[in-house]
Amino acid sequence: MEELLKVEHLVKTFGKNEVLKDIDFSVQRGDVISIIGASGSGKSTLLRCINMLEDATSGNIIFGGKDVLKGEINEDKYRTQVGMVFQSFNLFANLNVLDNCMVGQTAVLKRKKEEAEKIALEYLSKVGMDQYLKAKPRQLSGGQKQRVAIARALAMSPEILLFDEPTSALDPEMVGEVLDVMRTLAESGMTMLVVTHEMAFARDVSNRVIFMADGRIEEDGKPEEVFNHPKKERTKEFLARYLSEKK
Amino acid sequence: MTISQMNFFQRMWYILCRYSGSLLNGAATTMAIAIICTLFGCVIGFAVGLVQTTEPKKGSGKLSRAILKVVKWILEAYVEIFRGTPMMLQAAFIYYGMAQLFNINLSMWSAAILIVSINTGAYMAETVRGGILSVDSGQTEGAKAIGMNHVQTMVRIILPQALRNIMPQIGNNLIINIKDTCVLSIIGTVELFFTFKSISGALYTYFEAATVTMIIYFILTFTCSRLLRWLEGKMDGPANFDLTTRDSLAFTSGLTKYNKETGGTY
Repeated sequence: MEELLKVEHLVKTFGKNEVLKDIDFSVQRGDVISIIGASGSGKSTLLRCINMLEDATSGNIIFGGKDVLKGEINEDKYRTQVGMVFQSFNLFANLNVLDNCMVGQTAVLKRKKEEAEKIALEYLSKVGMDQYLKAKPRQLSGGQKQRVAIARALAMSPEILLFDEPTSALDPEMVGEVLDVMRTLAESGMTMLVVTHEMAFARDVSNRVIFMADGRIEEDGKPEEVFNHPKKERTKEFLARYLSEKK
Repeated sequence: MTISQMNFFQRMWYILCRYSGSLLNGAATTMAIAIICTLFGCVIGFAVGLVQTTEPKKGSGKLSRAILKVVKWILEAYVEIFRGTPMMLQAAFIYYGMAQLFNINLSMWSAAILIVSINTGAYMAETVRGGILSVDSGQTEGAKAIGMNHVQTMVRIILPQALRNIMPQIGNNLIINIKDTCVLSIIGTVELFFTFKSISGALYTYFEAATVTMIIYFILTFTCSRLLRWLEGKMDGPANFDLTTRDSLAFTSGLTKYNKETGGTY
C-alpha cells in the first residue's frame, strides 16, 4: 500500500494550552479512518492542522513525500489535494449550488468552464443534488448543504478528504442522507479521514479507528479491535459512556 | 404684478418659471457630483477597507510586515482626519492650499470631485471594513480549503457579499452627498444650494426660494433611495428556484431542463 499522508510528532498549543501532544500516524491510500473521542480531545484541531487552517506548533506533515509545514509544497496547491468538509458546511452564500462546485475548479485549477461544469454535475448527481443547481445555499436544508459541500470538495479531485464532524450540525433525520453519501464514497476507494461521533459509521464503514483523548492518540486499530477489545482503560470508559448515552 | 404683491404660492411659481434653467442646472450639478463622488468614494473605500482587513501572510518576512503596518497606519490617519474635520473646511483647505502652496488652480469640477470623493472614501473605508467582517469567517475557511488564495477569496466570495451587506450604507452616503455638496458653495461650485443663494439674493424671497429648493432636494434624494431599494432587491436574486434535471423522461413531471449553454433552465 502506498503511504499518502504521514503526521510526525505534531504538537499544537494555544497559548499555554497544549491541545495536540506528539501526534504520530500515517494514512495509506484508500484508508477510511474514523477519529473518535470526547469533545475537546483535539480531534478537530488535528484535522485543521493537517489542512493548515491552524498553524502547527511543531512536527512534520508529509504529503506525497514532501514536508508541508516546511513549505516544500505550495500551501494553496496542497489544499486542492486535501479536501475538507466542515461541520458548518461553509458554502459560499453568494453563489448557487453549481457555482459553489465550479468556482474552485476555474479559479484555482484553471479548468475550462465546460470541463468544470461537467465535473461539478457529475459529483452533484453523485450526492443527489443535481436538481438544485440554481438554488442558493440559504434555500437548502442542512443535509442538502452538506451534500453540496461534499460535491464541492470532490470536484477539486482531491487525493484525500477530511471530514470535520460532518453530521454534528444536522437534524437527526438528515444525518442518514449525508452518511449514505460518505459510505458510497468510502466504497468507491476514496481516502478519508473522518472526525465523527457516529459510532456506527466508525464501526461499519471505516477500516481503521483512532481514539483520541487529551491531545494524544490513545488507540489506533481496526474497528472491531477498538470497539470490541479496547486495550486502554480510557477507551473502555469512553465507549461505555457513549454507548449507554446513545441508548 | 410685482413680487411684493404676490402671495406665497405665486412667488414660488414665479421662481420656478423664471429660474427653472438655473435650478435644473444646479440640480444636475449636485446629482453629478454626488453620484460620481459616491462611486469614487466606494472605490477608495474598498481599496482602503481591503488593505485594513489584510493579515500578514504566515512566513512573510519582517520587511513586508513592517511595510503593511506603515501602510495601514497611513490609511488609518487618512480615515480619522477626513472623518474628523468638516468637509467645508477640507474644501477650503485643499482648494486654496493647492493654489497657495503648489500654484495649482483646481477647476471647480475637479476640486469638487476630489474633495467629496476623498471624504466619502474615508467613511466608506470603515463601512467596507464592517462589510467584510460581516461575512462569516467560515466561508473564508471554505475558500481556503479548496486552495483559493487571499485575492481570489476576496474577489469571488467575500466582496460580493460585503457589497450586498453595505448597500444600505452606500445609499446613505449617496443621499448625504446629494445634500452635503452644498458646502462646496464655499469654493464657488454652482450647485443647487448656490443657485438657491443666488435666487434669494436677487429677489429677497428667502422663504419661497428655500421651499422650492428643499422640494427639489427631496425629490432627488427620495428617487435615489427608492432606486437603491430596487437595486438591493435585484441583488438578492429570486426567492424561488426551479428544480432542474437532465433526465428527459422527467420533463413531464414539472421539472425543467438544465441548459448547458446558459447554465440555467428553460
